[in-house]
Amino acid sequence: MRYESDKQPSRFGPPGYAPRVIDQGSVWIMVAAPTLWALHFVASYVVAAVWCARIGPSLTEPRWIIAGMAVVCVALIVWLATQAVRRYGGVFVIFEEITESSERGRDKFIGHVSLLLCILSGVAIAFTVIPGFVFGSC
Amino acid sequence: MTQEIDLSKLPPPAPYDEARDKAQRSRLAKAWQGPPGWKIVSAVNNSFIGKWYLLTSFAFFVFAGILALMIRVQLAAPNNDLFGQQLYNQLFTLHGTAMMFLFAVPIFEAVAILVLPEILGARDLPFPRLSAFGYWCFLIGGVFVCGSILFGVAPDGGWFMYTPLSSNEEYSGLGADIWLLGLSFIEVSSIAAAVELIVGVLKCRPPGMRLNLMPLYCWYVLVVAGMILFAFPPLIAGDLLLEMERAFGWAFFDVDRGGDPLLWQHLFWIFGHPEVYIIFLPSIALIATMLPTFAGRPMVGHSWIVLSAIGVAFLSFGLWVHHMFTTGLPEISLGFFSAASEAVAVPTGIQIFCFIATMLVSKVRPSVPMLFAGGALAIFVFGGLTGVMVALVPFDWQAHDSYFVVAHLHYTLIGGMLFPLMAGVCYWYPFVTQKAMNARASRWAFWLMFGGFNLAFLPMHWTGIMGMPRRVWTYDLTDGWAVLNMVSTVGAFVFATGFAVLAINVLWPRGKAPFVARNLWNAGTMEWAAEVPGKPWGVRSIPYIHTRYPLWEQPGLVDGIDRGEWFLPDAAEGKRELIVTDILDARPLHVQRVGGPTFLTLGSAFCLGAVFILATYHLWALALAFGAGFVGFTLWWLWTGTSEIPERPHKDAGRGLTLPTYAQGNRSPGWWAVFITMTGDMTAFMGLVFSYFFYWTALPDFPPAASQLPAFGGLLAGLAALIAAWLMTVAARSLLGQGARRAAMALLVGSVPVAAAGLGGWAWAAWAVGLDPTSHSFDAMVWMLILWMGLHLIPNAIMQIYVAARIWADICNPEYRADLMNLTLFGHFLALTAIVIFALLAVFPLMMGAA
Repeated sequence: MRYESDKQPSRFGPPGYAPRVIDQGSVWIMVAAPTLWALHFVASYVVAAVWCARIGPSLTEPRWIIAGMAVVCVALIVWLATQAVRRYGGVFVIFEEITESSERGRDKFIGHVSLLLCILSGVAIAFTVIPGFVFGSC
Repeated sequence: MTQEIDLSKLPPPAPYDEARDKAQRSRLAKAWQGPPGWKIVSAVNNSFIGKWYLLTSFAFFVFAGILALMIRVQLAAPNNDLFGQQLYNQLFTLHGTAMMFLFAVPIFEAVAILVLPEILGARDLPFPRLSAFGYWCFLIGGVFVCGSILFGVAPDGGWFMYTPLSSNEEYSGLGADIWLLGLSFIEVSSIAAAVELIVGVLKCRPPGMRLNLMPLYCWYVLVVAGMILFAFPPLIAGDLLLEMERAFGWAFFDVDRGGDPLLWQHLFWIFGHPEVYIIFLPSIALIATMLPTFAGRPMVGHSWIVLSAIGVAFLSFGLWVHHMFTTGLPEISLGFFSAASEAVAVPTGIQIFCFIATMLVSKVRPSVPMLFAGGALAIFVFGGLTGVMVALVPFDWQAHDSYFVVAHLHYTLIGGMLFPLMAGVCYWYPFVTQKAMNARASRWAFWLMFGGFNLAFLPMHWTGIMGMPRRVWTYDLTDGWAVLNMVSTVGAFVFATGFAVLAINVLWPRGKAPFVARNLWNAGTMEWAAEVPGKPWGVRSIPYIHTRYPLWEQPGLVDGIDRGEWFLPDAAEGKRELIVTDILDARPLHVQRVGGPTFLTLGSAFCLGAVFILATYHLWALALAFGAGFVGFTLWWLWTGTSEIPERPHKDAGRGLTLPTYAQGNRSPGWWAVFITMTGDMTAFMGLVFSYFFYWTALPDFPPAASQLPAFGGLLAGLAALIAAWLMTVAARSLLGQGARRAAMALLVGSVPVAAAGLGGWAWAAWAVGLDPTSHSFDAMVWMLILWMGLHLIPNAIMQIYVAARIWADICNPEYRADLMNLTLFGHFLALTAIVIFALLAVFPLMMGAA
């Protein structure tokens, strides 16, 4: 570090150390699963809208495109869930009491919330797939 | 890896010394004292701004409530001609608009500005002057929009201003312009507050308050402020399109010219549905904060509530089309939104179950706030269930635009938002005023409001099912709605009486009444650590937090705070100071100096307000003059109040902790504020991108044949110049870091004409092929994207020159260069915008042409 003002207090970290969210890989996992839901949702909407506006009334193909995208997204979410469990120590508990004041405690909390969000996102993606199998045409 | 903050590593506090304590207190008081007398309007501290914000929002609530009573009087009897159709249209439009934009959203900001810093054990939010600016914008804009009804020119197109009714000047007069410009102005203040609150929660937590220890209220604030950032900008983009059509005839919503009125509905509801949750979540957050207090135990399923807040935040963006079920979209599209509307009930339900579980496992102390909270849950669950009903497409086709929907939305909003808010008012009243409310009157208020509400809105389910459409100004006796409407009107007045009782109770002067006991509810969150009677500094010293409910779980904490044993117990330099901590674990990073009282923000807000108001009347020259005034005041404010070079690079923050007094790059709150603001800006831009692709799906001749496309060469040259201008700024940043001040200044100033040339290249490319924004939606879209770039290059140019001047004045120098780093961040977003615009104007039409 070149300047005095770039340095961090030495007590709480090595000189020049600045905690960075992305480097520690710690917070992104919380929004990753719902983001996958959002991407899948928008993609499904776009596929259906463009298909119905430009191609035709039959929904057979878009139905499978949407289901295929759902499989990919759910697979990614499952991977995220394993990360939440293995790397962060996330657990599935109802009466959560992860109040330990430590980095590990914070990781476990993030892992736990991420795991819950993975489940919710998976369910929400399943909800998005259902209409394709109910409607045969636009 | 990082070291832990370890209590045992902190040296013990110095023994208590009364003289020292007194001296520190007087220095703190001097630094944080509000200005005397009438100069109080220049105050920026959160305790002042929060209170004003709250009272102003409630004033607009009362105003909109009076409009509602007028609506009910008009509908009380069949064939009533008391107000007439013209005024009636203005009444319901302004009622909805004021309730949503001037009460429901601002009240979230008001409460958060008032209590968030105290819950975080902080002395203020990171940008107090920005809060003040936002407040004054809100006040000016709100008075302008509401005042219009006194002159008979209030907006009358319904609170969602559907096109083509609102885009055609024959059908909608000045009211639509007042709505568009007035609300865009107020949205500025909402986004300012969102930025402030996000940075506040992320960077101003007390040392040690890790993410897993953060109070639920903070989670909700973070989530909701994030939602504002993604929900409001699309509406600003929509406002821009609609106002361009109204003022200059650009073709966006006119079907004859390749426009599409449905686009407005999309942009409006991409904002409008998340907005419902933007209103609901912060109010439910109040219940989540007070419930543990009265249950006497931590919230059951703390993390489940975090999950449900984040889950609702995401899912709520997938619901917007459920307001458009009857517009003829493909059924499969409706199916997606119906499914998402059902799915959002899952996380919403989870938090309600957490509340119920907390109440079940403990013995809840009866109290007025809990009475309101209980009423809120009952009403909200009812409204939520009718919500699941209207989320089903076939049912919605029957109930759409009927009083059933009116009943549903009032049950969700009043149950989900108003009652929790009233609970919050009763709960935090002693915190704000240090006096007690009259509990008996509050209970009367509750039962009048609860009874009156149900009497007013329950019958509307039946009037709706019986076929009464919303927004009709009168009806016939033979329609059979007369009795139910009369019952609703009586209920509305009972409800209003209840509110009046509560309002009198709140506003009753209690100058001589005794102070309440400190932490009278025996709560666990930090705001109740405040001394009674209150002190201007908020918290005497900023403690180290290692539990979720510090006042319960950290014995002796309050005494330590009072004796000044923790961080920043003094204001030796007479400056207002906060501790900025890191996002994950709240490790102390540096001491942030924040601005004190100033009239500059007031001047700035006044000029900006004048710009919007004058633009409504198309007084362009005057608007321009006030625009210059706005720029002048804002630059003055920034020059004198931000990124000051500290007198020493470090300072002693107490307990052996030495912290830097300056931060730059991604460690400074300013950098985060720019990042967050620009994220919102990108969302608005995405609204335009969405519009582009919306036209592409809907129109066969969008984009048109190759001969009508903007010239590729001009677009490419323009992009090259814009990228070059960006690279010059980036180079200036690294050159300044190496000490080359003159080169940095030259690059910064030099990049301004380069960027202007780039924009000129784009404009030429569109001009050369004769694109006319008033002739077709494609032409209008092309010019809109170029205009968007131009609208960003103007502030960019001002900031480039500003930073160059700061370098020249040696306020921004090789060692302290936060200004330039923030400017570069702005530049990154601008470069990204330029690339996307180029892709839309040059690359995408080519790809489509090739296909």
